[in-house]
Amino acid sequence: MSTSNLLNHGYDVDEDDQDFDTGHLDQDAEGEPDDEAPPAGGQPDDDDEEDDEEDDEEDDEDDEDDDLPQRKRARRPPRNQFLDIEADVSDEDEEDPDEDEEDGAEAGFIADDADRPELSDLRQYPRDDHRHRELDRKHEAEQAEDMEQIAAGFKERHGRSARRRMEDSQVVPRRLLLPSVNDPSIWGVKCKPGKEREIVFSILRKQEELANTKTPLQITSAFERGNTMPGYIYVEAKKQADVMHALQGVSFVYPMTKMILVPIKEMPDLLFVMKKAEITPGTWVRFKRGKYQGDLAQVENVLASGLEVKIRMVPRLDYGNGTDVDDPSGSKRKRNPFGKSGSLAGRPPQRLFSEVEARKNHAKYLSQTSQGMKKLFTYLGDEYEDGYYIKDVKLNLIQTENVNPTLEEVSKFASGGDDGTESLDLHALAQSLKKTISTYQVGDTVEVYDGEQNGLVGRAVSVHGDIVTLDVLEGPLKGKRTEVPFKGLRKRFNPGDHVKVTGGSRFRDEVGMVLRINEDRVTLISDVGMTEITVFSKDLREASESGGMETGGKYDLHDLVQLDATTVACVTKVDRESVRIIDQQGNIRTIMPSQIASKLSNRRPNVATDRNGSEIRVGDTVKETGGETRSGVILHIFRSFAFLHNREETSNAGVFVCRTGNVATIAAKGGRITTNQSTGPDLTKMNPAMQRNGRSPDASAIPPPRTGGRDKTLGQTVTIRQGPYKGLVGIVKDATDTTARVELHTKNKIVTIEKVKLGFKDLHTGAIKPYQDFMRPGGRGDGGGYSRSPSMSSDRPSSWGGSRSPQSNFSGPRTPAYSLGNKTPAWLSSNDGSRTPGYFPGSKTPAYGMDGSRSSYAGNKTPAWNPSSRTPYASDTDRSTWDAGSKTPGRPSLDSFMDSNSTSANPSNNNSSYSARTPGASYNASSPDFIPPSYSSKELSAPTPGGPISAPTPSALSAPTPGPISAPTPRDAYGGAWGGPETAPTPAPYGAAPTPGASGSYGGGGASGGGSRDPRGGYYQGAPTPAAGYGNPRTPGVWAGGDDDEIRYAEPTTP
Amino acid sequence: MSGGSNFVAPGQYRHLRACMVCSVVQTQQKFIKDGCPNCEDYLNFRGQPDFVDDCTSPVFEGLITLRDPKNSWVAKWQRLDGYRKGVYAVKVSGNLPVEASEMLAAHNIEYRPRDGSDINQD
Repeated sequence: MSTSNLLNHGYDVDEDDQDFDTGHLDQDAEGEPDDEAPPAGGQPDDDDEEDDEEDDEEDDEDDEDDDLPQRKRARRPPRNQFLDIEADVSDEDEEDPDEDEEDGAEAGFIADDADRPELSDLRQYPRDDHRHRELDRKHEAEQAEDMEQIAAGFKERHGRSARRRMEDSQVVPRRLLLPSVNDPSIWGVKCKPGKEREIVFSILRKQEELANTKTPLQITSAFERGNTMPGYIYVEAKKQADVMHALQGVSFVYPMTKMILVPIKEMPDLLFVMKKAEITPGTWVRFKRGKYQGDLAQVENVLASGLEVKIRMVPRLDYGNGTDVDDPSGSKRKRNPFGKSGSLAGRPPQRLFSEVEARKNHAKYLSQTSQGMKKLFTYLGDEYEDGYYIKDVKLNLIQTENVNPTLEEVSKFASGGDDGTESLDLHALAQSLKKTISTYQVGDTVEVYDGEQNGLVGRAVSVHGDIVTLDVLEGPLKGKRTEVPFKGLRKRFNPGDHVKVTGGSRFRDEVGMVLRINEDRVTLISDVGMTEITVFSKDLREASESGGMETGGKYDLHDLVQLDATTVACVTKVDRESVRIIDQQGNIRTIMPSQIASKLSNRRPNVATDRNGSEIRVGDTVKETGGETRSGVILHIFRSFAFLHNREETSNAGVFVCRTGNVATIAAKGGRITTNQSTGPDLTKMNPAMQRNGRSPDASAIPPPRTGGRDKTLGQTVTIRQGPYKGLVGIVKDATDTTARVELHTKNKIVTIEKVKLGFKDLHTGAIKPYQDFMRPGGRGDGGGYSRSPSMSSDRPSSWGGSRSPQSNFSGPRTPAYSLGNKTPAWLSSNDGSRTPGYFPGSKTPAYGMDGSRSSYAGNKTPAWNPSSRTPYASDTDRSTWDAGSKTPGRPSLDSFMDSNSTSANPSNNNSSYSARTPGASYNASSPDFIPPSYSSKELSAPTPGGPISAPTPSALSAPTPGPISAPTPRDAYGGAWGGPETAPTPAPYGAAPTPGASGSYGGGGASGGGSRDPRGGYYQGAPTPAAGYGNPRTPGVWAGGDDDEIRYAEPTTP
Repeated sequence: MSGGSNFVAPGQYRHLRACMVCSVVQTQQKFIKDGCPNCEDYLNFRGQPDFVDDCTSPVFEGLITLRDPKNSWVAKWQRLDGYRKGVYAVKVSGNLPVEASEMLAAHNIEYRPRDGSDINQD
């Protein structure tokens, strides 16, 4: 049953009523009503019941309302029977009339039943009838009230039922909906990120499947929050077990892991939604996909649904260039070149649409329509307006947040105009940038330009989020402190202010003077470029420094910078707005500093291996093994590339790139020892001397005399003569047989060095002696003589030339002498000064050859000298003997020289010494030695012979003898040389003096030093000279000789 | 709604749309075929693809599968109590067309957008 039935019934009743009405006066009397009455009386009852049932069905809450009418009906019957009135009521709205009429009908019928007798009476007594009518009217009034109540009740009921769903939700504010303990709990369950939706639908399916089984899901709901809470889904249920049940068998969700019971307080947060910023025309957005990915676009229009927008972009078209022109499928053509949508590398650059270019290849795909002033093109199905690409896109294809357009990008949208900046809608840009970062800093002078406090000027004292607290500087509020939101603020400058661009544009770090201010756009003139720049005031700060060119400050010459993930480059030039770089491929480019991703600092040592497998580091000197075989110092190593720098290269500031595999180490920084097997150039092999020595490094050499007890070298001041620390001075802190630990004066560092590489400084004389000599007993102190000898020699220069050569020759002989000790010593001596090279070579064959004079020498000497001296050399064993012999003579001479020399006058000495020396010289070994000594003193000459004689002779015996013999002769020659360099050389002087000297010395032999000395004295005059001559060549010869000599000398002397 | 299962296979997700009025989520096809389970009485979606397009949105966030609208707090909070079981969105973006708003008004239904814009109203 429904209301429609009710209505019908009501209608029936109505009819009845009418009948009744009409018959009221005429027919009723007939008693027909009797027939009608029973059914009528029965029906209303039924109706009532049904009505109630319906009400119950419709709304349980309305029980009370339903009861009311019943009571009324119960009351009514006795009172009222008039139907006209009911009929009037029936004019009211549909639903009410139902009831009314029903009631009326019921009432009427019931009344009829009950009052029938009265009715008949009434007919008989019309007046009574009148009274009744009055009564009825009263009832009617009363009833009308009731009816209204009822109507209101019904209205309420029906109205509510019609609107129920919406009304409930609208009426109750959310804060009343906050969850309580009676609500189901929510559990958060981990799941596979990205699969949230799938899981929700899986749960839905499961729920539908089990809906009509014995075990339906007991959860009330399940939901996910997608991007807000990825990796979680939430299930709302009374019990945790229900959650487990619901999630069992669902893929991608992990109910076995820890389930989180969401605290009641946090439940609303789970469903919190935030409205996205409204997109309005003019907003900057970024395109998300395809060819235009990442490109800035401007919203032209937002479609009604808010889900689609029309955007404007700078097109990237290639106008069919490079593709088959006849291929009509434009879209395909466009897609193919950039088919790999992931790679944006190959896409055409952003350029405004060009009608000309489009016509060239694609005239048939181009159509033009004009809309007022604007030119509208349709090209390959896309629309272009004023050169821009116009496109309708779905909202999800564009990025609307964090767009952060840069001025460069935006300037592409500047319509025409020479001065792009001005025609820009900078205001729109400012708005879109506004939300980015707070650019206000404490101390900025700011101006309020919006809102109630418009016009206020103040100095920012603190900045918190969006709120700037400022001290008002001007106006009535001066001195007050107020807070202003960020958006109504702008920085304030005055023309003439010196400002610096702090961010946001490519003018960053530019410093200049404010020219004019237009709202929040400030035009300034750059200090450096003298160009006008327009920027937002928010990007400016007062500049403390003046005119600094800050762009360059970030990158320096030779910096290693990162350009992109795979490219690094070395800065070769820094300009004001650009940086010139050479990248790892050797490409040379000029780029903007903004294109540099970052500067790479060489924090950890970068190590690579060179071609030979030895390690190379920054700072090493390497050489290309191929190509131009350039060499250079490593500036940077990046993976397998090395950036080298060579001062002599002119291009690229001397920077070039090569692969580390293509270089070989020349010198490692700091003399780092390359691995033993390293195949870097072996310096020892290059050095002939070393090589010789190399054969029997120590074996052939006479080991330094060993002394027991404390190592003599301890505490000595030494210079390092070889190796990475060469030239440094230090003190021996500790020593073993072969090595010493030297504390360097300079580096405050202790290094371990072989003793033979050390030079020992003589405490008294300051002379430096090689280790060998140092260790030799008595060796000390002699050095001094030597050193002097050179000085002596200096006097003679002119004549020297010739004379020297002999000396060199001498040295030759000496060498052997040296070598006697050890060749090493010779080395050492060489180390001392200039000697090294000259020395050896000199002493040895090469030296001879070297000087022109010598060669001539050779002529003279060669015969004598060479044979003798060399011979010994040749055979190691011999040498020793030689050396011994040769030195001996030399030394003594030295010593004697030394002493005497100092006192004596050079020239005279020299002369004399010459003669004397000669003899010494004749000794081969000794002679050189002698010579030096000879310088120093008159006596020298004498000693020499003596010295040599004594020692040499014996040892020399075998070898020496010949030596001397042969030698002398040349010496004579020398002598001549000395006397009158070239011409004189001849024999005379020499011959005379030397021979005797020599012989004398010999004769004297080692027997007595004293004796020998005397002769020296005698010789002296003759001898010295030569010695002096030696002096010149001194360095090598003298020293060496000296050293050797000293030792021996000393010995003899002492006794 | 009589229309059987509300399940949607992952492949169909891109056709999903959410009713801007009640936030129910179903495929576009289902909207056209069966209408909106809650709003069909006021907005006649059935057989009107264009109207469906206008009044539903493909841009929505957060999916709720509602099994027991009467007892669920989530439903209450989302003002989904009284709705049918099914899948709903937490947030629906988009603007309801004017005609639709008028139709709702004619039924004394106040439209509350579900795009989060009313968040500050309570």
